[in-house]
Amino acid sequence: MLDLETQVAPRAALLDRLRALLVDHLQLRRAVDELDPDAPLFGSGFGLDSLDAVELVVCLETEFGIRVGDAVALRHAFRSLNTMIDLVLAERGGAA
Amino acid sequence: MSVADEVRVLRTSAALAAGDHLACVRVRGAGAHDLLDRISPRELFLRSGQLLHTVLLDDAALPIADVYLGCDDDDYLVIAEGMTGRAVADYLAAHAGGLDAAIEDTSESHAFLCLGGPYAWEVLAELTSPDVIGLPYLGFFHAPEFSCFRAGKTGEYGYDLWIERGRLAEVRERIAAVGRAFDLAPISPAALTVAALENWFWNPRRDVRPGLTPIELQLQWRISYGRTFPGSAALAARRASAQQRIVLAASPGALVDGAVICAGDRAIGAVLHAEWSPTRDEALAIALLDRPVAHAGLTGLIARTPAGAVPLRTLSAPALDNRSLYVDPQRHSYATRHTDSFPPLVRA
Repeated sequence: MLDLETQVAPRAALLDRLRALLVDHLQLRRAVDELDPDAPLFGSGFGLDSLDAVELVVCLETEFGIRVGDAVALRHAFRSLNTMIDLVLAERGGAA
Repeated sequence: MSVADEVRVLRTSAALAAGDHLACVRVRGAGAHDLLDRISPRELFLRSGQLLHTVLLDDAALPIADVYLGCDDDDYLVIAEGMTGRAVADYLAAHAGGLDAAIEDTSESHAFLCLGGPYAWEVLAELTSPDVIGLPYLGFFHAPEFSCFRAGKTGEYGYDLWIERGRLAEVRERIAAVGRAFDLAPISPAALTVAALENWFWNPRRDVRPGLTPIELQLQWRISYGRTFPGSAALAARRASAQQRIVLAASPGALVDGAVICAGDRAIGAVLHAEWSPTRDEALAIALLDRPVAHAGLTGLIARTPAGAVPLRTLSAPALDNRSLYVDPQRHSYATRHTDSFPPLVRA
Protein backbone atom coordinates (compact mmCIF):
# COMPACT_ATOMS: atom_id res chain seq x y z
CA MET A 1 0.00 0.00 0.00
CA LEU A 2 1.50 3.33 -1.06
CA ASP A 3 1.65 5.72 1.88
CA LEU A 4 1.57 9.03 0.08
CA GLU A 5 1.30 11.10 3.23
CA THR A 6 4.55 9.61 4.55
CA GLN A 7 6.32 10.81 1.41
CA VAL A 8 4.67 14.22 1.49
CA ALA A 9 5.13 15.08 5.16
CA PRO A 10 8.90 15.79 5.25
CA ARG A 11 8.77 17.81 2.03
CA ALA A 12 5.77 19.83 3.18
CA ALA A 13 7.46 20.57 6.51
CA LEU A 14 10.66 21.68 4.77
CA LEU A 15 8.71 23.82 2.31
CA ASP A 16 7.06 25.65 5.20
CA ARG A 17 10.41 26.14 6.91
CA LEU A 18 12.21 27.39 3.81
CA ARG A 19 9.39 29.75 2.90
CA ALA A 20 9.54 31.27 6.39
CA LEU A 21 13.30 31.52 6.10
CA LEU A 22 13.09 33.47 2.84
CA VAL A 23 10.55 35.89 4.29
CA ASP A 24 12.21 36.31 7.69
CA HIS A 25 15.94 36.16 6.89
CA LEU A 26 16.01 37.49 3.34
CA GLN A 27 13.21 40.01 3.87
CA LEU A 28 11.37 38.80 0.79
CA ARG A 29 8.32 41.02 0.65
CA ARG A 30 5.83 38.31 -0.14
CA ALA A 31 3.42 36.17 1.84
CA VAL A 32 4.61 32.61 2.32
CA ASP A 33 1.75 31.13 0.28
CA GLU A 34 2.92 33.15 -2.74
CA LEU A 35 6.27 31.35 -2.78
CA ASP A 36 5.60 28.54 -5.23
CA PRO A 37 7.92 25.56 -4.74
CA ASP A 38 9.21 25.42 -8.33
CA ALA A 39 9.47 29.17 -9.00
CA PRO A 40 12.99 30.43 -9.76
CA LEU A 41 14.70 31.86 -6.69
CA PHE A 42 16.99 34.24 -8.53
CA GLY A 43 16.65 36.76 -11.35
CA SER A 44 13.15 37.29 -12.62
CA GLY A 45 11.59 34.84 -10.13
CA PHE A 46 11.78 35.84 -6.46
CA GLY A 47 14.47 38.33 -7.46
CA LEU A 48 17.20 37.08 -5.12
CA ASP A 49 20.75 38.26 -5.87
CA SER A 50 24.32 37.23 -5.08
CA LEU A 51 24.15 38.70 -1.58
CA ASP A 52 21.04 36.65 -0.91
CA ALA A 53 22.91 33.58 -2.15
CA VAL A 54 25.54 34.14 0.54
CA GLU A 55 22.78 34.52 3.11
CA LEU A 56 21.20 31.28 1.91
CA VAL A 57 24.50 29.44 2.29
CA VAL A 58 24.73 30.73 5.87
CA CYS A 59 21.12 29.72 6.55
CA LEU A 60 21.71 26.20 5.25
CA GLU A 61 24.51 25.83 7.77
CA THR A 62 22.84 27.49 10.76
CA GLU A 63 19.32 26.15 10.22
CA PHE A 64 20.05 22.70 8.82
CA GLY A 65 23.68 22.03 9.66
CA ILE A 66 24.48 21.65 5.96
CA ARG A 67 27.76 22.89 4.53
CA VAL A 68 28.02 22.62 0.75
CA GLY A 69 31.51 23.02 -0.67
CA ASP A 70 30.63 21.97 -4.20
CA ALA A 71 29.75 25.05 -6.27
CA VAL A 72 27.94 22.98 -8.90
CA ALA A 73 25.74 21.30 -6.28
CA LEU A 74 25.00 24.67 -4.74
CA ARG A 75 24.08 26.23 -8.06
CA HIS A 76 21.71 23.36 -8.73
CA ALA A 77 20.20 23.50 -5.24
CA PHE A 78 19.51 27.21 -5.45
CA ARG A 79 17.27 27.02 -8.51
CA SER A 80 14.02 26.71 -6.53
CA LEU A 81 12.60 25.86 -3.12
CA ASN A 82 12.06 22.30 -4.31
CA THR A 83 15.70 21.88 -5.32
CA MET A 84 16.71 23.22 -1.90
CA ILE A 85 14.43 20.63 -0.30
CA ASP A 86 16.11 17.95 -2.42
CA LEU A 87 19.49 19.07 -1.09
CA VAL A 88 18.39 19.06 2.56
CA LEU A 89 16.77 15.63 2.27
CA ALA A 90 19.80 14.23 0.44
CA GLU A 91 22.15 15.57 3.12
CA ARG A 92 19.97 14.12 5.87
CA GLY A 93 19.86 10.80 4.07
CA GLY A 94 23.62 10.82 3.66
CA ALA A 95 24.11 11.59 7.33
CA ALA A 96 21.72 8.87 8.49
CA MET B 1 16.28 16.32 -38.27
CA SER B 2 14.02 14.81 -35.59
CA VAL B 3 12.62 16.86 -32.72
CA ALA B 4 14.91 14.89 -30.38
CA ASP B 5 17.96 15.89 -32.44
CA GLU B 6 16.77 19.48 -32.54
CA VAL B 7 16.51 19.57 -28.75
CA ARG B 8 20.01 18.06 -28.47
CA VAL B 9 21.38 20.87 -30.67
CA LEU B 10 19.63 23.45 -28.52
CA ARG B 11 21.09 21.91 -25.36
CA THR B 12 24.66 21.69 -26.60
CA SER B 13 25.42 24.30 -29.28
CA ALA B 14 23.13 26.89 -30.89
CA ALA B 15 19.76 26.73 -32.63
CA LEU B 16 17.53 29.06 -34.60
CA ALA B 17 13.74 28.93 -34.65
CA ALA B 18 11.08 31.00 -36.34
CA GLY B 19 9.37 33.20 -33.78
CA ASP B 20 5.91 33.03 -35.29
CA HIS B 21 4.52 32.31 -31.80
CA LEU B 22 5.60 35.81 -30.68
CA ALA B 23 3.93 39.15 -31.36
CA CYS B 24 5.05 42.66 -30.45
CA VAL B 25 2.78 45.61 -29.79
CA ARG B 26 4.21 49.09 -29.35
CA VAL B 27 2.45 51.63 -27.11
CA ARG B 28 3.24 55.31 -27.53
CA GLY B 29 2.00 58.51 -25.96
CA ALA B 30 1.80 60.28 -22.62
CA GLY B 31 -0.49 57.55 -21.28
CA ALA B 32 1.63 54.58 -22.39
CA HIS B 33 3.10 53.91 -18.95
CA ASP B 34 -0.25 54.23 -17.23
CA LEU B 35 -1.86 51.82 -19.70
CA LEU B 36 0.74 49.14 -19.06
CA ASP B 37 0.49 49.82 -15.36
CA ARG B 38 -3.24 49.08 -15.57
CA ILE B 39 -2.84 45.70 -17.20
CA SER B 40 0.41 44.47 -15.61
CA PRO B 41 -0.13 42.01 -12.74
CA ARG B 42 3.42 42.85 -11.61
CA GLU B 43 4.87 46.14 -10.37
CA LEU B 44 5.94 48.08 -13.45
CA PHE B 45 9.46 49.11 -12.44
CA LEU B 46 11.37 49.36 -15.72
CA ARG B 47 14.30 51.34 -17.05
CA SER B 48 14.72 51.83 -20.79
CA GLY B 49 16.18 48.66 -22.29
CA GLN B 50 14.64 46.39 -19.65
CA LEU B 51 11.92 43.75 -19.86
CA LEU B 52 9.53 42.51 -17.19
CA HIS B 53 8.25 38.93 -17.42
CA THR B 54 4.60 38.54 -16.46
CA VAL B 55 1.25 37.29 -17.80
CA LEU B 56 -1.94 38.81 -19.09
CA LEU B 57 -5.04 37.61 -17.28
CA ASP B 58 -8.70 37.64 -18.21
CA ASP B 59 -11.33 38.80 -15.74
CA ALA B 60 -11.57 35.27 -14.30
CA ALA B 61 -7.79 35.39 -13.59
CA LEU B 62 -7.01 32.80 -16.26
CA PRO B 63 -3.66 33.50 -17.93
CA ILE B 64 -4.22 34.21 -21.61
CA ALA B 65 -0.71 35.28 -22.66
CA ASP B 66 2.86 35.02 -21.48
CA VAL B 67 4.28 38.52 -21.88
CA TYR B 68 7.40 40.58 -21.59
CA LEU B 69 6.71 44.25 -20.98
CA GLY B 70 9.53 46.48 -22.18
CA CYS B 71 10.45 50.12 -21.73
CA ASP B 72 11.92 51.60 -24.92
CA ASP B 73 12.77 55.23 -24.12
CA ASP B 74 9.35 56.95 -24.08
CA ASP B 75 7.53 53.98 -25.61
CA TYR B 76 6.53 50.63 -24.17
CA LEU B 77 6.55 47.21 -25.83
CA VAL B 78 4.37 44.20 -25.15
CA ILE B 79 5.94 41.00 -26.47
CA ALA B 80 3.34 38.28 -26.21
CA GLU B 81 3.08 34.54 -26.66
CA GLY B 82 -0.36 32.94 -26.64
CA MET B 83 -2.24 35.86 -28.24
CA THR B 84 -1.95 37.38 -31.68
CA GLY B 85 -0.66 40.94 -31.95
CA ARG B 86 -4.16 42.00 -32.93
CA ALA B 87 -5.66 40.35 -29.84
CA VAL B 88 -3.06 42.00 -27.59
CA ALA B 89 -3.80 45.38 -29.18
CA ASP B 90 -7.54 44.83 -28.61
CA TYR B 91 -6.88 43.82 -24.98
CA LEU B 92 -4.85 46.98 -24.42
CA ALA B 93 -7.43 49.17 -26.15
CA ALA B 94 -10.15 47.74 -23.93
CA HIS B 95 -8.26 49.03 -20.87
CA ALA B 96 -7.08 52.35 -22.33
CA GLY B 97 -10.11 54.45 -21.49
CA GLY B 98 -9.19 58.07 -20.77
CA LEU B 99 -5.50 57.60 -21.60
CA ASP B 100 -3.45 59.18 -24.38
CA ALA B 101 -1.97 55.97 -25.79
CA ALA B 102 -1.39 54.92 -29.41
CA ILE B 103 -1.38 51.13 -29.77
CA GLU B 104 0.41 49.61 -32.75
CA ASP B 105 0.39 45.91 -33.57
CA THR B 106 3.67 45.36 -35.47
CA SER B 107 2.85 41.85 -36.72
CA GLU B 108 2.48 43.02 -40.33
CA SER B 109 5.78 44.91 -40.39
CA HIS B 110 8.03 42.80 -38.13
CA ALA B 111 8.74 39.15 -37.28
CA PHE B 112 10.83 37.29 -34.72
CA LEU B 113 13.67 34.81 -34.97
CA CYS B 114 14.65 32.96 -31.79
CA LEU B 115 18.34 32.20 -31.26
CA GLY B 116 19.14 29.90 -28.35
CA GLY B 117 21.66 27.50 -26.89
CA PRO B 118 24.69 27.50 -24.58
CA TYR B 119 26.75 29.14 -27.34
CA ALA B 120 24.04 31.40 -28.80
CA TRP B 121 25.82 34.39 -27.24
CA GLU B 122 28.87 33.60 -29.35
CA VAL B 123 26.84 33.51 -32.57
CA LEU B 124 25.26 36.82 -31.64
CA ALA B 125 28.64 38.36 -30.79
CA GLU B 126 29.88 37.41 -34.27
CA LEU B 127 26.75 38.92 -35.81
CA THR B 128 26.85 42.18 -33.91
CA SER B 129 29.58 42.99 -31.40
CA PRO B 130 31.34 41.31 -28.46
CA ASP B 131 29.47 43.81 -26.28
CA VAL B 132 26.36 41.59 -26.44
CA ILE B 133 28.08 39.22 -24.03
CA GLY B 134 27.31 41.73 -21.31
CA LEU B 135 23.61 41.98 -22.13
CA PRO B 136 21.78 40.94 -18.95
CA TYR B 137 18.83 38.56 -18.90
CA LEU B 138 15.68 40.57 -19.70
CA GLY B 139 17.69 43.33 -21.32
CA PHE B 140 17.42 44.51 -24.93
CA PHE B 141 19.11 46.74 -27.47
CA HIS B 142 18.56 47.95 -31.01
CA ALA B 143 21.09 46.99 -33.69
CA PRO B 144 20.95 48.24 -37.30
CA GLU B 145 19.44 44.99 -38.59
CA PHE B 146 17.23 44.00 -35.66
CA SER B 147 16.26 44.58 -32.08
CA CYS B 148 17.55 41.93 -29.70
CA PHE B 149 15.70 40.85 -26.55
CA ARG B 150 17.55 38.53 -24.18
CA ALA B 151 14.74 36.26 -23.12
CA GLY B 152 13.52 32.86 -24.31
CA LYS B 153 11.93 29.91 -22.54
CA THR B 154 14.43 27.11 -22.98
CA GLY B 155 16.72 27.64 -20.00
CA GLU B 156 19.62 28.38 -22.38
CA TYR B 157 21.12 31.66 -23.50
CA GLY B 158 18.21 32.99 -25.53
CA TYR B 159 17.81 35.97 -27.84
CA ASP B 160 14.57 36.92 -29.54
CA LEU B 161 15.46 39.00 -32.59
CA TRP B 162 12.77 41.43 -33.79
CA ILE B 163 13.27 42.11 -37.48
CA GLU B 164 11.58 44.10 -40.21
CA ARG B 165 9.93 41.55 -42.48
CA GLY B 166 11.75 42.99 -45.48
CA ARG B 167 15.09 42.03 -43.91
CA LEU B 168 14.04 38.70 -42.41
CA ALA B 169 15.50 36.45 -45.12
CA GLU B 170 18.77 38.39 -45.18
CA VAL B 171 19.19 38.18 -41.39
CA ARG B 172 18.31 34.48 -41.35
CA GLU B 173 20.93 33.82 -44.02
CA ARG B 174 23.55 35.80 -42.11
CA ILE B 175 22.82 33.87 -38.91
CA ALA B 176 23.06 30.58 -40.80
CA ALA B 177 26.38 31.62 -42.33
CA VAL B 178 27.88 32.78 -39.03
CA GLY B 179 26.34 29.78 -37.25
CA ARG B 180 28.19 27.19 -39.34
CA ALA B 181 31.22 27.51 -37.07
CA PHE B 182 28.96 26.72 -34.12
CA ASP B 183 27.04 23.84 -35.73
CA LEU B 184 23.93 25.99 -35.51
CA ALA B 185 20.82 24.22 -36.79
CA PRO B 186 17.25 25.31 -37.46
CA ILE B 187 14.75 23.90 -34.99
CA SER B 188 10.98 23.58 -35.05
CA PRO B 189 8.26 24.94 -32.76
CA ALA B 190 7.87 21.38 -31.47
CA ALA B 191 11.46 21.44 -30.17
CA LEU B 192 10.80 24.75 -28.39
CA THR B 193 7.73 23.18 -26.76
CA VAL B 194 9.76 20.22 -25.46
CA ALA B 195 12.54 22.51 -24.23
CA ALA B 196 10.06 24.76 -22.42
CA LEU B 197 8.59 21.77 -20.60
CA GLU B 198 12.04 20.42 -19.68
CA ASN B 199 12.79 23.82 -18.13
CA TRP B 200 9.38 24.29 -16.51
CA PHE B 201 8.26 27.33 -18.49
CA TRP B 202 4.52 27.79 -18.73
CA ASN B 203 3.38 27.29 -22.31
CA PRO B 204 0.40 29.53 -23.13
CA ARG B 205 -0.31 27.49 -26.25
CA ARG B 206 -0.65 24.21 -24.33
CA ASP B 207 -0.99 24.69 -20.59
CA VAL B 208 -4.27 26.57 -20.49
CA ARG B 209 -7.41 25.03 -19.00
CA PRO B 210 -10.59 26.49 -17.49
CA GLY B 211 -10.05 26.99 -13.78
CA LEU B 212 -6.25 27.16 -13.87
CA THR B 213 -5.06 30.50 -12.50
CA PRO B 214 -1.48 31.55 -11.64
CA ILE B 215 -2.04 29.90 -8.24
CA GLU B 216 -2.53 26.42 -9.70
CA LEU B 217 0.13 27.04 -12.38
CA GLN B 218 2.89 28.12 -9.93
CA LEU B 219 3.02 31.51 -11.62
CA GLN B 220 2.51 33.63 -8.53
CA TRP B 221 6.04 35.02 -8.88
CA ARG B 222 4.69 36.95 -11.88
CA ILE B 223 1.95 38.55 -9.76
CA SER B 224 1.95 41.35 -7.20
CA TYR B 225 -1.12 40.82 -5.06
CA GLY B 226 -1.35 44.39 -3.83
CA ARG B 227 -2.14 45.70 -7.30
CA THR B 228 -5.37 46.14 -9.24
CA PHE B 229 -5.26 44.58 -12.71
CA PRO B 230 -7.59 42.56 -14.94
CA GLY B 231 -8.45 39.42 -12.99
CA SER B 232 -7.05 40.68 -9.67
CA ALA B 233 -10.37 40.33 -7.80
CA ALA B 234 -10.91 36.79 -9.09
CA LEU B 235 -7.34 35.87 -8.21
CA ALA B 236 -7.69 37.19 -4.67
CA ALA B 237 -10.88 35.18 -4.23
CA ARG B 238 -9.14 32.09 -5.56
CA ARG B 239 -6.26 32.36 -3.15
CA ALA B 240 -8.01 30.74 -0.21
CA SER B 241 -9.80 28.09 -2.24
CA ALA B 242 -7.28 26.66 -4.71
CA GLN B 243 -7.55 22.88 -4.67
CA GLN B 244 -4.76 21.84 -7.04
CA ARG B 245 -1.21 22.71 -8.08
CA ILE B 246 0.94 21.61 -10.99
CA VAL B 247 4.04 19.48 -10.38
CA LEU B 248 6.70 18.16 -12.76
CA ALA B 249 6.36 14.41 -13.31
CA ALA B 250 8.41 11.80 -15.16
CA SER B 251 7.88 8.28 -16.40
CA PRO B 252 9.88 5.69 -18.35
CA GLY B 253 6.64 4.92 -20.21
CA ALA B 254 4.68 6.98 -22.69
CA LEU B 255 2.42 9.60 -21.11
CA VAL B 256 -0.56 11.29 -22.72
CA ASP B 257 -2.45 14.44 -21.89
CA GLY B 258 -5.41 13.69 -19.63
CA ALA B 259 -4.05 10.45 -18.14
CA VAL B 260 -5.40 9.97 -14.62
CA ILE B 261 -2.71 9.87 -11.91
CA CYS B 262 -3.24 7.47 -9.03
CA ALA B 263 -1.59 6.60 -5.75
CA GLY B 264 -2.70 3.02 -5.35
CA ASP B 265 -6.43 3.07 -6.06
CA ARG B 266 -6.76 6.75 -5.19
CA ALA B 267 -6.97 9.26 -8.06
CA ILE B 268 -4.92 12.32 -7.10
CA GLY B 269 -4.75 14.24 -10.38
CA ALA B 270 -4.18 14.14 -14.12
CA VAL B 271 -1.53 14.80 -16.75
CA LEU B 272 -2.01 18.29 -18.12
CA HIS B 273 0.67 18.19 -20.82
CA ALA B 274 3.17 15.46 -21.65
CA GLU B 275 6.20 15.35 -23.95
CA TRP B 276 9.04 12.91 -24.54
CA SER B 277 12.25 14.45 -23.22
CA PRO B 278 15.27 13.52 -25.34
CA THR B 279 17.53 15.12 -22.75
CA ARG B 280 16.33 12.79 -20.00
CA ASP B 281 15.26 9.91 -22.28
CA GLU B 282 11.94 9.60 -20.48
CA ALA B 283 8.51 11.18 -20.62
CA LEU B 284 7.99 14.44 -18.76
CA ALA B 285 4.67 15.90 -17.82
CA ILE B 286 3.00 18.76 -16.09
CA ALA B 287 0.85 16.92 -13.57
CA LEU B 288 -2.09 18.70 -11.98
CA LEU B 289 -2.37 17.16 -8.50
CA ASP B 290 -4.59 17.63 -5.48
CA ARG B 291 -2.92 20.39 -3.49
CA PRO B 292 -2.18 18.43 -0.26
CA VAL B 293 -0.09 15.93 -2.23
CA ALA B 294 1.22 18.29 -4.94
CA HIS B 295 4.90 17.90 -4.09
CA ALA B 296 8.06 16.83 -5.85
CA GLY B 297 9.83 13.65 -4.76
CA LEU B 298 6.81 11.31 -4.82
CA THR B 299 7.44 7.79 -6.08
CA GLY B 300 5.25 4.79 -6.77
CA LEU B 301 2.52 6.69 -8.61
CA ILE B 302 0.68 5.35 -11.66
CA ALA B 303 -0.60 7.17 -14.74
CA ARG B 304 -3.52 5.42 -16.38
CA THR B 305 -3.19 5.91 -20.15
CA PRO B 306 -5.31 4.37 -22.94
CA ALA B 307 -2.40 1.97 -23.57
CA GLY B 308 -2.26 0.89 -19.94
CA ALA B 309 -0.81 1.98 -16.63
CA VAL B 310 2.71 3.39 -16.51
CA PRO B 311 4.82 4.21 -13.44
CA LEU B 312 5.13 7.87 -12.53
CA ARG B 313 7.14 9.94 -10.08
CA THR B 314 7.27 13.65 -9.36
CA LEU B 315 10.44 15.70 -9.36
CA SER B 316 11.76 19.18 -8.76
CA ALA B 317 11.82 21.56 -11.68
CA PRO B 318 13.63 22.19 -13.91
CA ALA B 319 14.34 18.73 -15.25
CA LEU B 320 17.93 19.40 -16.28
CA ASP B 321 21.09 21.24 -15.37
CA ASN B 322 21.35 23.54 -18.37
CA ARG B 323 24.79 23.87 -19.91
CA SER B 324 24.14 27.61 -20.19
CA LEU B 325 24.37 27.82 -16.39
CA TYR B 326 28.01 26.83 -16.62
CA VAL B 327 29.20 28.26 -19.95
CA ASP B 328 30.94 31.51 -19.09
CA PRO B 329 31.50 33.79 -22.10
CA GLN B 330 34.60 35.18 -20.39
CA ARG B 331 36.24 31.72 -20.19
CA HIS B 332 34.59 29.37 -22.64
CA SER B 333 33.89 29.17 -26.34
CA TYR B 334 32.36 26.66 -28.71
CA ALA B 335 35.79 26.02 -30.20
CA THR B 336 37.13 24.83 -26.83
CA ARG B 337 34.03 22.91 -25.72
CA HIS B 338 35.74 19.52 -25.89
CA THR B 339 38.42 20.58 -23.44
CA ASP B 340 36.08 22.50 -21.14
CA SER B 341 34.48 20.57 -18.30
CA PHE B 342 30.78 20.86 -17.53
CA PRO B 343 28.35 18.97 -15.29
CA PRO B 344 26.06 16.46 -17.01
CA LEU B 345 22.75 17.82 -18.30
CA VAL B 346 20.87 15.35 -16.11
CA ARG B 347 21.91 14.79 -12.52
CA ALA B 348 21.98 11.21 -11.24
